[in-house]
Amino acid sequence: MKKNPDLEVSIGEIKLKNPVMTASGTFGYASEFKELFELSRLGAIIVKGLSIEASKGNKPPRIVETPCGMLNAIGLENVGLEVFLQEKLPFLKTLATPTFVNIYGKDIVEYAELASRIDDIEGISGIEVNISCPNIKAGGMAFGVDPESAFNVIKAVRKSTAKTLIVKLSPNVTDITKIAKSVEEAGADAVSLINTITGMSIDIETRRPKLANITGGLSGPAIKPVALRMVWQVVQKVKIPVIGVGGIMTPEDALEFLIAGAVAVQVGTANFINPNATIDIIEGIEKFLIKNNIPKITDIIGTLDVEG
Amino acid sequence: MRQEKIKVLWNKKLAPFYYRIGFKSNKYSSAKPGQFIMLRFADQINPLLRRPFSIHRLISRDGNIVGLEALYKVVGKCTKKLSMCVEGDIIDIIGPLGNSFTTSDNYNNVFIVAGGVGVAPMLFLASCLQQNTDVSKFSVFLGSRSKHDLLCKDDFSRLGIKVLIATEDGSTGKKGFVTDILETSIKENHPDIIYGCGPTAMLKALALISEMHSIPCRVSIETIMACGIGACLGCAVESKKTPEKYLHTCLNGPVFDTKEIKFVNFL
Ligand SMILES: Cc1cc2nc3c(=O)[nH]c(=O)nc-3n(C[C@H](O)[C@H](O)[C@H](O)COP(=O)(O)OP(=O)(O)OC[C@H]3O[C@@H](n4cnc5c(N)ncnc54)[C@H](O)[C@@H]3O)c2cc1C
Ligand SMILES: Cc1cc2nc3c(=O)[nH]c(=O)nc-3n(C[C@H](O)[C@H](O)[C@H](O)COP(=O)(O)O)c2cc1C
Ligand code: FES
Repeated sequence: MKKNPDLEVSIGEIKLKNPVMTASGTFGYASEFKELFELSRLGAIIVKGLSIEASKGNKPPRIVETPCGMLNAIGLENVGLEVFLQEKLPFLKTLATPTFVNIYGKDIVEYAELASRIDDIEGISGIEVNISCPNIKAGGMAFGVDPESAFNVIKAVRKSTAKTLIVKLSPNVTDITKIAKSVEEAGADAVSLINTITGMSIDIETRRPKLANITGGLSGPAIKPVALRMVWQVVQKVKIPVIGVGGIMTPEDALEFLIAGAVAVQVGTANFINPNATIDIIEGIEKFLIKNNIPKITDIIGTLDVEG
Repeated sequence: MRQEKIKVLWNKKLAPFYYRIGFKSNKYSSAKPGQFIMLRFADQINPLLRRPFSIHRLISRDGNIVGLEALYKVVGKCTKKLSMCVEGDIIDIIGPLGNSFTTSDNYNNVFIVAGGVGVAPMLFLASCLQQNTDVSKFSVFLGSRSKHDLLCKDDFSRLGIKVLIATEDGSTGKKGFVTDILETSIKENHPDIIYGCGPTAMLKALALISEMHSIPCRVSIETIMACGIGACLGCAVESKKTPEKYLHTCLNGPVFDTKEIKFVNFL
């Protein structure tokens, strides 16, 4: 029998047993899925966006299905730091999978404070800084659409923590590579992209927007080509690892991102549709490597052949 | 809670736009009335998201639960596709999910109120009540647009529960809303509890009526859902007791005490 291929990848200091992570906001605090599959098989878990204080989020309706995708305007509803540490983290610590906490704040001070309060907490492997949520007014995307603001917020967070730092980028910009380069310069260990694409949907009978927030973030298969293009562009401009996110439903989707140069991938909307999507993707990647006699996942990363 | 790919046992048209679909599964023996399933067509991405459906009845054979039924109305993409399913088709479901109607063996008089397809979870509730209590004094109030979409009347009668009917066009039963005939009955015979499921306007009326007459009232509500398991936070419901945070239909519901939540348009 052939040896199983080596799926291990590294993000900053953190080793992942495989490159498949769950995307923030689509996997709760992981315990929601514990009856559905073996969570320790995941490469990493990224939990719902966290703020220092609990946040109520936007008015419903918050979700609407669109062709091959969905719009959401949850508005970063979350339990706040204290409740997260007391009630959610203990379960995550029982898993043989690293946990990343996705954080956001209304200003630079809040981002930095949250990062420093997480810094010495055991059981949190790293931080994903969300500078790209399209659904809240203060903070969020405001930092992610301007290279200078992005630099400043990441610089401040970097000073507040020694943990591995991923920065989650917004696609709602003219040139995503500029933002990627500035957060790399500010000390990010990796970038993840993309967050959702701003969109909207209208009920023609009532002539009202289908989301109470009017606009929302588009995710799911519809955004995959955009995400893939942006990952490929960013890979060419930065030296830090790039994590591909957006519309990944199948092993083939994940492999496209890896070939484009992503070191790891995050699975989002697919978790709602097929809670086993991450496991199917891990197994599918493994099968693909075996079939093609590729011993290590790292042998396929960034192998896109554009010359033909 | 389980995810399963299971077989369609039957898919029967009850009335124009209304169907009853049976699924084969042995995982529902402890399912409770009010609980729901999240359904999708195996390996298809159109529609993309799963859709929630109440458990309408359990299917038993020789004393074992061998499946479940849903009662649905064709309103859009998923339900249209569902209406074309035939015996043997494979459907992917997650369930049982959510809380349930809490019942007590000490009720002497129970009112069940169902508007339109809201009757779906109420038949399961009625059959559970019937197993433990004398239901001959209980009443079910069925409301629909006309006699053509009046559902499950005979099923309730068979359980020995009195059926009262209101249709908007008066084609059968009393002309008007189901809440009108409910108020008349409350005055004659004060119930211990009211259980309801139906359009938001009806639930809002139930909340008012039950408060006016100091009757406990529990209703099953519908909100948009992406996951059904507490992961997306899409199913937010405004809470009266804790206005600083939302409740979530899939976690705290779908059954709520009418005093717990604000009845704004959920969808
Ligand atoms: C807990 C729960 C239990 C339910 N039980 C039943 C049931 O037993 N029988 C039944 O027929 N229906 C039930 N519903 C409603 C059912 O989920 C929707 O009718 C279904 O999702 C519509 O899908 P569609 O693709 O056919 O329609 P779509 O094309 O998605 O939409 C068509 C219309 O349906 C409305 N709709 C979309 N999603 C929902 C939703 N989640 N809830 C209500 N309306 C929605 C839309 O606003 C739109 O007006 C339940 C809903 C919930 C939340
Ligand atoms: C319901 C929902 C909630 C989300 N919440 C967050 C969040 O809290 N923080 C964040 O950085 N991204 C959030 N996202 C974005 C996802 O993590 C991901 O970037 C995006 O959905 C694209 O990936 P997908 O197409 O695989 O879903 C959310 C997405 C959805 C659909
Ligand atoms: S439907 Fe996703 S949290 Fe309730």
